[in-house]
Amino acid sequence: MNKLMRCFWLAVLMMAFAVPAHAADEVPGPAQSKPIALVGGTVHTMHGRPIKNGTVVFDKGKIVAVGRNVKIPDGAQRVKVNGKHVYPALFDANTDMGLIEINAVRATRDYSEAGSVNPSAQSHVSVNPDSELIPVARANGVLLALTAPRGGLIAGRSAVIQLDGWTYEDMTLRAGAGMHVDWPRMSPNAPWYPSTSSTSAASARDAALKQLEKLFDDARAYWQARRAADKAKHKRSAVDARFEAMVDVFERRVPLIVSADDLAEIQAAVAFANRQNVRLIIYGGYDAPHCAALLKEHGVSVIVAGTHRLPRRRDEGYDTAFTVPQRLRAADVTYCINGRFRFGAAMVRNLPYHAASAAAFGLPRDEAIKAITLYPAQVLGVADRVGSLKVGKDATLIVTDGDPLEITTHVKAAYVQGRAVQLTSRHTRLNEKYQKKYERTGSEGE
Amino acid sequence: MRKIVAIVCAACVAITGISSLAQDDPTRPEQGLRDRTPRLFALTNARIVTPDPDKRTKNRLIEIEHGTLVIDAGEIKAVGSDVKIPAGARVIDLTGKTVYPGLIDAYSETKVPAPPDGTGYWNKQIRPQVNVADHYTPDAKLNEQFRGQGIVARLVAPSAGVIRGTSVVVTTADGDSQTSIIRPLDAQHVRLTVDRSRSGGYPRSPMGAVALARQALYDAQWHTAAVVLPLHDDDRSQTVGDARVNTALASLFATTPSEDLPLELQTTLYFKTDHERSLLRAKRFADEFKLKAVFVGSGREYRRPEAMRVNAIIVPVDFPKAPNVSTPEAALNVSLQELMHWDLAPTNPARVAEHNPDLALTSHGLDDRKKFLAAVRKAVDYGLDQDTALRSLTINPARLLNIDKTHGTLAAGKTASFIVTDGDLFAEKTRIVETWVDGRRFEHKPEPTVDPRGTWKVTMQGVKGKPRSLTVEIAGESDKPSAKVVAESTDGVESDVALKHVAIVAAQLTGVFDSSAFGAEGVARLSVTVTRNGDGEAIWKGRVVWPSGRVGWCTAKRAADDKPDKEDVTDEDKDEDKADDPAPLFDVNYPLGAFGVTKQPGQPTVLFRNATVWTCGPAGVLKGASVLVRDGKIVAVGQDVERPKGKVVIVDCKGKHITPGMIDCHSHIATDGGVNESGQAITSEVRIGDFVNGDDIAIYRQLAGGTTTANILHGSANPIGGQNQVIKFRWGMTGEAMKFKAAKPGIKFALGENVKQSNWSNPTGRYPQTRMGVEQIMRDAFRAARDYQRAWDEWKKHKKGVPPRRDLELDALAEVMSGDRIIHCHSYRQDEILALIRVCDDFGVKIGTFQHVLEGYKVADAIAKHGAGGSSFSDWWAYKFEVYDAIPHNGALMHGRGVVVSFNSDDAELGRRMNTEAAKATKYGGVPPEQALLFVTLNPARQLRIDHRVGSIEPGKDADIVVWNGQPMSTFTRCEQTWVDGRKVFDRHADLKQRQRVSQMRAKLIQRILDSGEPMKKAGEKSKADGAFWENINRFCEHCDQNTAAHRRRLEMQGGGR
Repeated sequence: MNKLMRCFWLAVLMMAFAVPAHAADEVPGPAQSKPIALVGGTVHTMHGRPIKNGTVVFDKGKIVAVGRNVKIPDGAQRVKVNGKHVYPALFDANTDMGLIEINAVRATRDYSEAGSVNPSAQSHVSVNPDSELIPVARANGVLLALTAPRGGLIAGRSAVIQLDGWTYEDMTLRAGAGMHVDWPRMSPNAPWYPSTSSTSAASARDAALKQLEKLFDDARAYWQARRAADKAKHKRSAVDARFEAMVDVFERRVPLIVSADDLAEIQAAVAFANRQNVRLIIYGGYDAPHCAALLKEHGVSVIVAGTHRLPRRRDEGYDTAFTVPQRLRAADVTYCINGRFRFGAAMVRNLPYHAASAAAFGLPRDEAIKAITLYPAQVLGVADRVGSLKVGKDATLIVTDGDPLEITTHVKAAYVQGRAVQLTSRHTRLNEKYQKKYERTGSEGE
Repeated sequence: MRKIVAIVCAACVAITGISSLAQDDPTRPEQGLRDRTPRLFALTNARIVTPDPDKRTKNRLIEIEHGTLVIDAGEIKAVGSDVKIPAGARVIDLTGKTVYPGLIDAYSETKVPAPPDGTGYWNKQIRPQVNVADHYTPDAKLNEQFRGQGIVARLVAPSAGVIRGTSVVVTTADGDSQTSIIRPLDAQHVRLTVDRSRSGGYPRSPMGAVALARQALYDAQWHTAAVVLPLHDDDRSQTVGDARVNTALASLFATTPSEDLPLELQTTLYFKTDHERSLLRAKRFADEFKLKAVFVGSGREYRRPEAMRVNAIIVPVDFPKAPNVSTPEAALNVSLQELMHWDLAPTNPARVAEHNPDLALTSHGLDDRKKFLAAVRKAVDYGLDQDTALRSLTINPARLLNIDKTHGTLAAGKTASFIVTDGDLFAEKTRIVETWVDGRRFEHKPEPTVDPRGTWKVTMQGVKGKPRSLTVEIAGESDKPSAKVVAESTDGVESDVALKHVAIVAAQLTGVFDSSAFGAEGVARLSVTVTRNGDGEAIWKGRVVWPSGRVGWCTAKRAADDKPDKEDVTDEDKDEDKADDPAPLFDVNYPLGAFGVTKQPGQPTVLFRNATVWTCGPAGVLKGASVLVRDGKIVAVGQDVERPKGKVVIVDCKGKHITPGMIDCHSHIATDGGVNESGQAITSEVRIGDFVNGDDIAIYRQLAGGTTTANILHGSANPIGGQNQVIKFRWGMTGEAMKFKAAKPGIKFALGENVKQSNWSNPTGRYPQTRMGVEQIMRDAFRAARDYQRAWDEWKKHKKGVPPRRDLELDALAEVMSGDRIIHCHSYRQDEILALIRVCDDFGVKIGTFQHVLEGYKVADAIAKHGAGGSSFSDWWAYKFEVYDAIPHNGALMHGRGVVVSFNSDDAELGRRMNTEAAKATKYGGVPPEQALLFVTLNPARQLRIDHRVGSIEPGKDADIVVWNGQPMSTFTRCEQTWVDGRKVFDRHADLKQRQRVSQMRAKLIQRILDSGEPMKKAGEKSKADGAFWENINRFCEHCDQNTAAHRRRLEMQGGGR
């Protein structure tokens, strides 16, 4: 057994073939110096059927060729991936990656700013590239993530980051990906929730809704005043950091990403975005299938906040959360699946299994993988860069020994913009360290 | 024996010495002139209805038409149809009226101050010495409300504490404290829980409350033997050091049975319950101590037949308000359980009465006491037999409260407490006209001296050329009249004018009317006094003040053929609105609501065929194999199992896989009383087993994921937490029936950040605050348990003198030390794991499992050598500092060193995906799938010492079986069927059908609410009962940064829907 395991781990470490394995901190992959061709694997482009015995070529960080009979440029590094699979990087559409290290240690939490109105906060500037959580997610194929602030009413702006790089600037694919709003609770609390009465809950809700509405009205007034000043070539009035950050929202460059699970909340958010003429993405979306027609009508897409959730209501089928993506798809609503689990960034690596549970309960398998690759890229407006294996897109991709949605599948190699990245982590280092302990002490121990 | 009887009797003197009739205090000197109002009455021509006072025919009702009731000095002297009216009696003619015995409210509560600090029991939740008799103050307004509902007597119990004290039966006649008390009740009041809103020290959970009550009763027994008896008995020398009399324990001594105390002298315990599970818990508690018990119900007894089968029960009629289904969005958040409860709750008294015709009813719980009778009538509409209803308000509570000598029936010698109604008591419109309490008459709607209703012809004086007469028609209730004035002009044309602001006060009728029909401009005012003339006819004399200020005198007489008519006001539409048949739309299922079962599935002979069977036993994985099940047990497994003769259920499993039901070695679902008792650092006396909630929907959801058994653990707030309970998911049965009796008793220990309160926003500063302290407190506890055990061993040798005081906390630890109870220890860091191993080694204790044990991989050799199991998360990490070194290879690494490893959930959601958790041992660490599956089947069975019963598919084991539609550890695989004890408890096809049924049931019930026109709850409105429900989320859990609203919201988002 021991021997078997050692062999296995040796094999795993060997698989990180692009970079030498060692027990030090992970080093960002070196910039791609020559074309790389992944040859002989099954290529899952996310456009059409998988290409068996296909080839993917990338150069200077961009995909230059995908197909069965592809010409491999001279001087290219050929990497045989026979029997393996090539997929675009897995993409978690809402995380706090880099903003948190250890949940219970306050000093390591950077995802929630004081006060309830923080449109100006931007997440990417406080992403810690040396977070131990990043290599752990990466090792299971998650190379892209939206990292978002939360808390309060308007938490701030999120960014799409790639999970490799020396600095947050290296890592940031797109800053200002969304403006995050936590929709006020509109339905009653669970019966065991002790404190609030129905009237105080209702007045808290009304106050929060009013605050949101007023905030947007004020911000809009600021934006219009600014535009008027620009048009008249007047000097702009003094900068309000909060409202300045909202300009992109009004100009529809940045969508609102509204956390809402409850039907009444989702419907209210749609009406609000419509009234304010801003783009909207729903995050959570547990009840979204109940108002699919409304979402479709207004082109609202949904980031399904994980499938590994309990039914929110006693009467609902046990698989209700598993089937949210399939029901949205059947209703022609744009969606993607995120890997929400209560420990946040630490558990991002389990993203593919949320998609798998959706597949086990009716979502076609090819849809399930798109729901964590192409669809998040589309929903978050970065599909021109990532999300599928297509010429011109970033070479941000993974090589696996099977279906990434199966737990037993391993990621054998990963590239971020053509850079081969390490698949080691704090976990593999500690595993290796204590393997050594038992090698030394022998099977009798102590 | 003789002595203890004497002591009890001495205590009883105080009780029976009080006059049974509440009268004026004869010891009080008279102030002023003596009141000699005649008190001899004869009530005649009444219909009299009363339960038969003869005990032998207790179920009979006596009805006397045209009966007479003679009362003197507050006592009934005679009842019957041919009673002679005594000379000089004040005669009250009750023609058309009915007389019933006064109603008795069997339960109510009052706030009583807590005993002063430093007196009584160490914990102020135990306050048996509190006596309502010392604090009761009558409240005139309250009394009036009670009398208005016909209530002449009620029980008043203390409202706070776990063991709360004694109560009194009081009259609702107004008086001072002393004279209001009919008698103290020889009963002790108990509520085996604490409210969620409670703050402060131990107990902070219902589990702690039960443990505390249990300990208090043991302490009372010990106190009797060690202190009370030696005081009264010279033969018994005081053997227990300097133990002194404790007022609280002394008050309990007649409550707790002992060899010396005959049952008839025992004090009854009244258990206030919050729901049917709480009643069943109280029943078990009473049985445990062989207590005489009366249960104060919650209105939810109908949900479990077991809860209705009790000897004595008091049932409330506070039926639930309709849930809010006014909008589709609101309705979405209302469960079928709530809808059914609304529909079924009014049948509760009837259902309880079927099991227990001696039930008593109470107004307790009603927001508005004035709606008591209406609620009782609703119960009658919903099937409560009228005779039973009357008895449950009269003779039954009278017997229960031991006042049947004076109350509960109408017979000579009883107190004159009765009610007079204008119809059948349970008819919707019947009013209680008078309530007599102890001979004092309270009229609720005094008949007007002259009933002004009817048509009156008014002749006016001083009106010239205008109509000289007008007709006033007065209708409505006599206290709420409506009237109009009909003017007749000289040419005979009538016109109607409404008389507004009509009032009748002290025989004077007043009102205003528009005077234009009379040729005046403006409003005229009418004021008349109604009297009788010499012939007994009613006459009016009064005046009209015209707008000009001119006064016109008028007189009036009743129009010919006119009589007061009260039927006038009947609103006929109302009756039509009422549903024809109030019978509930759907019958009770178990547990109530969606996915409940109506009938327990049977245990047929089953043959699963053509399956890939992962036996998790020595046979390994068998392809194309069969499993034969009979009487709930597996009888054969293999490729050549033959179909037995007789009736066999065949389950064809072509293309499917079969595994044993999965076992979750760390769970907090299905608890009813919180998860943590955090009030003390050591709470080994607390038992999860007291609080298993078999109704938790999480059980069904986990069955749908193939999990069949779980180890329900106390939380990790304390170094030594409570006792755990292993349960099998026998869905539909009670929590009690789910207990896995074969599992070895266990206890939760915990180390590290949680017990030292590292991540609390406001740590209490209690010991321990470091890992050093944790190690020391463990040693200290073991030492104490060892000393305790020695004391008992010593006593058992000779059995002389008073035994040592039984300490439930140390009892449990002594069991740990003797190996009869296994430790399940929450742990993370290698140092704390190793330290506990060393402590246990020193005391010769073997640890059962380390739970979580995320750094177990660092000391796997030491764990293996000690022989402990490791029950771990597959891949959780980084949620707090002590898990920063947690790695997903942990399970495989420990397994590789020979530790028996399981993966657990600690989470209601993850508990339904244990199969794919097992796959992570293959992913991280290369454990072959066949062995990885053991991490969620046989290995946790071994850790819980139930591997002789479950954990693998082998002949002789329980038929806990899961059928999967693919390889069981694949993420794409779904559970198709789950069997427990050979009963099919989950089937995906049946589940899908059930969902359709649920939505049909919802639609019908929602329609019924909308049709009923009943007021609905406001959004988020809570009922009073909600405080009794505790969430089973571990608040001191693995990821709590803080107990903040945001945190709870997150919990709710991923764990709601209970």
